[in-house]
Amino acid sequence: MRHWLDTLTNRTILLLLIGIGLVHFVSLYAYQVALDQEMSSAGEARLADRLLTIRQAVMRVAPNEREPVAHEFSGGAVEAHWSRTEHAIPGGPGSTEWDGLKRRLRELAPELGGSQVIIGANRKLESDPHLALISLQLPDESWVNVSLFARMTPQTGNHGTILSTTLMALGVIGISILLVRWMTQPLSTFADAAQRLYRGTETVSVPEEGPREVRELASAFNDMQARIKTLIDGRTHALAAVSHDLRTPLTRLRLKTEDVGDGPLGNAMRADLSEMEAMIDQTLAYLRGDRCDEEFRQIDLTALLETLVDDASDAGSSSTLAGPPKLAIKARPLALKRAFSNLIQNAVTYGGVARLTLVQTGKNAEIVIDDDGPGIPADQVEAAFAPFTRLETSRSKETGGFGLGLTIARTIVDGHGGSISLANRSEGGLSVTVRLPLTGPDASRP
Amino acid sequence: MQSEDDSTPQMVAHSGAAHVLIVDDDGQIRHLAAKFLRTNGMRVSQARDGVEMREMLRSAAIDLVVLDIMLPGRNGLDLCRDLRATSAIPVIMLTAKGDDTDRIVGLEVGADDYIAKPFNPRELLARIKAVLRRSRAPGVVGTGAAQRGFRFDGWIVDLLRRELTNPDGVLVDLSGGEFDLLLAFLEAPNRILSRDHLLDAARNRVSGSFDRSIDVLVSRLRSKLEKGHANAPEAIKTVRGAGYLFLPKVEPK
Repeated sequence: MRHWLDTLTNRTILLLLIGIGLVHFVSLYAYQVALDQEMSSAGEARLADRLLTIRQAVMRVAPNEREPVAHEFSGGAVEAHWSRTEHAIPGGPGSTEWDGLKRRLRELAPELGGSQVIIGANRKLESDPHLALISLQLPDESWVNVSLFARMTPQTGNHGTILSTTLMALGVIGISILLVRWMTQPLSTFADAAQRLYRGTETVSVPEEGPREVRELASAFNDMQARIKTLIDGRTHALAAVSHDLRTPLTRLRLKTEDVGDGPLGNAMRADLSEMEAMIDQTLAYLRGDRCDEEFRQIDLTALLETLVDDASDAGSSSTLAGPPKLAIKARPLALKRAFSNLIQNAVTYGGVARLTLVQTGKNAEIVIDDDGPGIPADQVEAAFAPFTRLETSRSKETGGFGLGLTIARTIVDGHGGSISLANRSEGGLSVTVRLPLTGPDASRP
Repeated sequence: MQSEDDSTPQMVAHSGAAHVLIVDDDGQIRHLAAKFLRTNGMRVSQARDGVEMREMLRSAAIDLVVLDIMLPGRNGLDLCRDLRATSAIPVIMLTAKGDDTDRIVGLEVGADDYIAKPFNPRELLARIKAVLRRSRAPGVVGTGAAQRGFRFDGWIVDLLRRELTNPDGVLVDLSGGEFDLLLAFLEAPNRILSRDHLLDAARNRVSGSFDRSIDVLVSRLRSKLEKGHANAPEAIKTVRGAGYLFLPKVEPK
């Protein structure tokens, strides 16, 4: 149910429609009930008058003329007959509807006195509640039987009701769209500003206008933005200072190792230095996160992976790449190279080898990196992505690095609108799958 | 923290060797780098900041400046911009590692190359040699001393960014060794280059302790160049017993 109820506009329209519709129908119902009552009481009075008139007329004439007189008074919905016995039987379906009529008859004609009034179904047609028979007893014990073909049915304007309801609903929808747009406009501005603050480096101050709640929110939001920027700036400056301060002694050490020469000692020192530099590099990359200035460009993914696999092979592993001769993808070249470098490094370090397969699947590039290592316990797959995590249970401290490789790779791949997943291969070893959209991240993600 | 002899610019008698000026506020780095470059056949002067740098440039014939970005007083970017306004002397910037902004800005203010700190001394030497070689190449005209790039068969080589773009405008990644090898070819088109010559061009890029076979490097570069087109013409020809020949017509960018 996310699709159309997802926006505030639609939710508000629905709410207003339910609310106003409910009020509309309740008032329509109350009006209808009142109208019904009005009409039936008027009808009852008319009917009672007519019944009494018939009774009086029949009573005044001799018994042999009574039937023709009764017949003369018939007409419309009313058909009267005179007889020695009553035709109506009390009770039956719908009989309570006639209690009002009975009461009114006695009210209008107190002279009815003890004589009987029976309203009920016809003896012959018991099942039809709308065909009622009224039997009025005359003083000489004979009866006037009046049958009613139908009760007065209230004229309901059904078409008018549907039309007015529809018009009202359309009005509600139209007005809600305008109103809600107007009210939620500031929220969209906030979302946009928050996105830009997160992606870029500039704060975007939101105008403090609109209703009071929105003004307060805008003020709090601007305040928060300023504080976040201060925090980030502080951290960035601290980082720059630390990394610059470390760079100087590291550069000196690099230069000093040249005096040691190319022997085992010099090479070991250079290897240590490389490791330290890589650590600083990784930490800086991690802290930078996806606040990356690098531009998206068309790059050849095959060539990039080839360079990395060649480097890995030169460093002594038998790493391979299988894939198309070229595959252009919109990406940040340096960031993406770092991500794959980390993944290949992990495969070689823990699995001895990195076997890469590159395929194009629809609008994505899919890169699978297999190794022959111990894999990762199934319950630790997600933990492997957490920063500063090294799954030491099966891995030796000798292997170097300090647990940022996967974190950085995932951040970079996410920043490209792609995904990365780990799985243990049935033959043993870990399989890392990276999916990257060929056209870069969605346009909706600035 | 500066010792006395650091603060006075050192004058070195002119000879055939290239004369490099190192501008860095860290005395140890200056001394150690100078020593390293001297043992590799260069003449080296040092300056601590922009003021000393200008003094040095006035009093000596400097062939190339290695300029740190983080300097007291005017920073390296400003100094490089100033320098470009008056001179075509080659400049290699020392940038902060992983800081893309520094790198891009450094190139925009007219540096010829950049190298990230902490740098591998052998790589610095290689970069200095490469920039000097390009700046001394005959017929080179550019905003800086060195040429900014090459074109061949629709491919574009950007020397500043060290980038190769194929005829479709797609960036093709090259390793450092492959890029330097390509440069060696581009600087000597239609000439047969011996393995030794190519090894010399690419060797100093290799930071490891192993020696990569030049044939492997050539085959990797060849594969990246020739896979770019569906019906790519042969780019690098093997001349049996002599070396390799780069076939496409090369133009300055």
